[in-house]
Amino acid sequence: MASKTSPTGKSTAGKTGQTDVADAMPLRYGDDPYVWACWLYYEEGRTQHDIAEIMGISRATVNSYLADARSRGIVNISLEPSRLSSLAIAQELKRHFGLLDCLVVPSDDGSRTLIDRLGTAGGQAVAKLLKSGDTLAVAWGRTVLAIAGNTAVTGLQDVTIVQATGGTRASFAYTPELCASAMAEATGAKLINIAAPAIVSNAEVQSAFLREPLIEEQFAALGRANKALFGVSSLRPNSTIHTSGFFESVSIQHYLAKNAVGVVAGRFIDPQGRAVAGPLDERTIGISLDMLQKIGMRIAVAGGFDKVPAILAALRGGFINVLITDAATGRGILNADGVTEVDQRLAQRTRGEGPLPLPSNVRTHIKKFLNNPDQVVDEMLEGVLKAHADYITPIKGSNRALVARKGPRAGKVGLVIGGGTGHEPCFLGYVGKGLADAVAVGNIFSSPPPGPILECARAASGGQGVLFVYGNYAGDVMNFEMAAEMAQEEDIPVRTVLTTDDIASSPVEDRDGRRGVAGNFFMFKIAGAACDRGLALSECEAVTRKANDRTFTIGVALEPCSLPQTRRHNFEIGPDDIEIGMGIHGERGVVRDRMMSADQITDRIIDRIFGEMNAQPGDRVAVLVNSFGATPLMELYILFRRVEQRLSAKNITIAANWIGHYCTSLDMVGASISILHLDQELSDLLLYPCDSAALRIN
Amino acid sequence: MQTLNNASAGGIVLAMADRIVENRAYLSEIDGKIGDGDHGVNMAKGFGMAAERLKGKDLSLAASLETLGTILMTEIGGSMGPLYGVMFTEFAEKLEGVDAIDAAAYSRMLHAGLEGIQSIGSAKVGDKTLLDTFVPAVEAFDAAAADGKSFGEALDALVAAAETGRDSTINLVAKIGRASRLGERSLGVLDAGATSCAIILKELSEGARDRLQ
Repeated sequence: MASKTSPTGKSTAGKTGQTDVADAMPLRYGDDPYVWACWLYYEEGRTQHDIAEIMGISRATVNSYLADARSRGIVNISLEPSRLSSLAIAQELKRHFGLLDCLVVPSDDGSRTLIDRLGTAGGQAVAKLLKSGDTLAVAWGRTVLAIAGNTAVTGLQDVTIVQATGGTRASFAYTPELCASAMAEATGAKLINIAAPAIVSNAEVQSAFLREPLIEEQFAALGRANKALFGVSSLRPNSTIHTSGFFESVSIQHYLAKNAVGVVAGRFIDPQGRAVAGPLDERTIGISLDMLQKIGMRIAVAGGFDKVPAILAALRGGFINVLITDAATGRGILNADGVTEVDQRLAQRTRGEGPLPLPSNVRTHIKKFLNNPDQVVDEMLEGVLKAHADYITPIKGSNRALVARKGPRAGKVGLVIGGGTGHEPCFLGYVGKGLADAVAVGNIFSSPPPGPILECARAASGGQGVLFVYGNYAGDVMNFEMAAEMAQEEDIPVRTVLTTDDIASSPVEDRDGRRGVAGNFFMFKIAGAACDRGLALSECEAVTRKANDRTFTIGVALEPCSLPQTRRHNFEIGPDDIEIGMGIHGERGVVRDRMMSADQITDRIIDRIFGEMNAQPGDRVAVLVNSFGATPLMELYILFRRVEQRLSAKNITIAANWIGHYCTSLDMVGASISILHLDQELSDLLLYPCDSAALRIN
Repeated sequence: MQTLNNASAGGIVLAMADRIVENRAYLSEIDGKIGDGDHGVNMAKGFGMAAERLKGKDLSLAASLETLGTILMTEIGGSMGPLYGVMFTEFAEKLEGVDAIDAAAYSRMLHAGLEGIQSIGSAKVGDKTLLDTFVPAVEAFDAAAADGKSFGEALDALVAAAETGRDSTINLVAKIGRASRLGERSLGVLDAGATSCAIILKELSEGARDRLQ
């Protein structure tokens, strides 16, 4: 193999093999490779790749030299004090008000006006935050127009800008129409104006306008907005609100008398951020506060000390989740809400020595496809509902309670399942005709609260009662029991079957204490078929209980899983170890053993299952070989191969089998084997037709 | 006699929520050692939601606890949602209508919360759960009060006992919840619920002590 030559052509180091660094080092760096690396990186502006070539060392070593140089004090990175201060204020605003993001521009440098500086910052924020496919609602004002003037976004597709309020006949430069069209031009977006006045003469005119198909369409577009950009206006004399002529001064006096302190997107709010009712409400055509609050990203750009009460009110009301302001205003907002530590923290931070950087070649996080780790469940559900719209739909607009489109019907027992997320396709993949009627969806590995479970019970009820089937975990039991009580108060009879198929989790004397794992798949199938066949509630319960008694599962993990929020393994398995008896929540298994062959592992599982199953030659079973998330089908088939050998050696027939991802544990490497010991009744129900996102039997 | 003004003490709950949110990563970290590592995330979500709803409202301690309890109970799920939910709603119920909270009322509040938890969970002291923090804390408070100590001193005794109780879970084997499947392997780590319970009791009691009149 030919060795690569240096692409820089400026290499001073020999490139053959592992060159001793000190041999090739120019004299001026003394004997210190750290100083050499830092010089090349910080002074000459070279990339780490180039430095590695020049110094004849690996890139990872360059990286760790640079990191160590900071901790050893060879390099000091300092931020200009005014920038540091605005960063600290932004950090504190974000933390204190729970914002998605916050940008604070340093206070007055004397050369540019505040509006201009906010416009520049807003333009940068829009460039970062606006994505292809977005619909951005744009309000009006001097700041908003300044942002449009400082925005230049190219390369986005399918962006729509919607004017957030009607237009005005007042003559100022920053009208709603102009703000929206300037922003559309700056972002290459499609523009939708609201073709009506912002303020009309009376309520009748307003409702007439809103009934106009054109306006209705434009409002529908506004309703689709996923981002909003607006300023915040104060109500002090001389504020835009007074001087623009947008509102009549008589009306403003009314709102002032009722303690309004600010205006957001043309609506008046009090110091706590509550809407203030007044004469303009029924005469305004534009985005309402409720509509604004439903928009996912609400970017407010506002600054100036007179606006502190108004911005604070808008923050308290939850109208803002991305704030762009200046340092003096930001500090004022924090002080007005009782936060005074920011300056102390700032003083500490400049003295403190900061955390030691980790060696750069140590892997600290698992890579995952994420946007916002706190939104993973919601974002997943958005995808699920679009992907499987034929099967499931939200109950009363909540994605945490989903009902089968072709599930519930009068006279049928309703089947409700549910649990935490991270087990996909459990549980929502098993909602459909002949399977579950509704599913309650919790957070990752965490039971849903009673509210959505109750909604599921209501939606699933066809007058014959509702069956709850879920895994035996403390949290699920508490929440589902609460929901069952609430449903029974509404005269919906509820029966419950707790699944307990994990035979590794507790000895046979404590069968009821075992946890429910991938065998859920069989229980859902049997229960769904029993309900769809029109059996009575007690019969559905009995046959599901029988399925649970005859289902045996053991899981084995080879590598741990990692939660999206931490992106770290939540426990460790040694390089040559495996965990037998693994649950589906990333809990450690019951026994740790040395790694062994696929057949040996399968035998360990099957021996244990045979020990409890009591099957006779000639009996029939169903088999599920399930991946915990990261184990590929190839290995599942290798496991199944051995399962089949062991069963056929006992002359037990596999009547049906499923191999794949049926009940997972995020990205855990591992698999579980479940066996359902069939009888005639269970066989019939198992093969009864069903149709859901994750399982179809014709 | 020292008392705590109910009407002006709602800020305690906001401070408690801040502390829980700050400890989000820490609680998840210790939960991850023997559980599924989501304790901090779920607690921070629930307490954060409550803080958002309470901020700027200036509610009484009872009303603030009620808001927090209801949110945990109905919107968080998991096992901690119902357990802490019932604890805070019981706390709130006992304080409702009490203008000046004295040591006896505070003790009634603690006992009601404890009984609430015991009515829906089946854990006992020594099972490596939040009860290992809660039970000794309540006992220490009652004992100090019975000894004729002041309300403030009894609160200090409560906080100290809660922290000792929390630390005792390091040497316990989990008997309940997911960690119980690990048997002896749950030794040597703090219980996440016991840890969050110590944070809660400490914030509540120190907040009360600082506001005693």
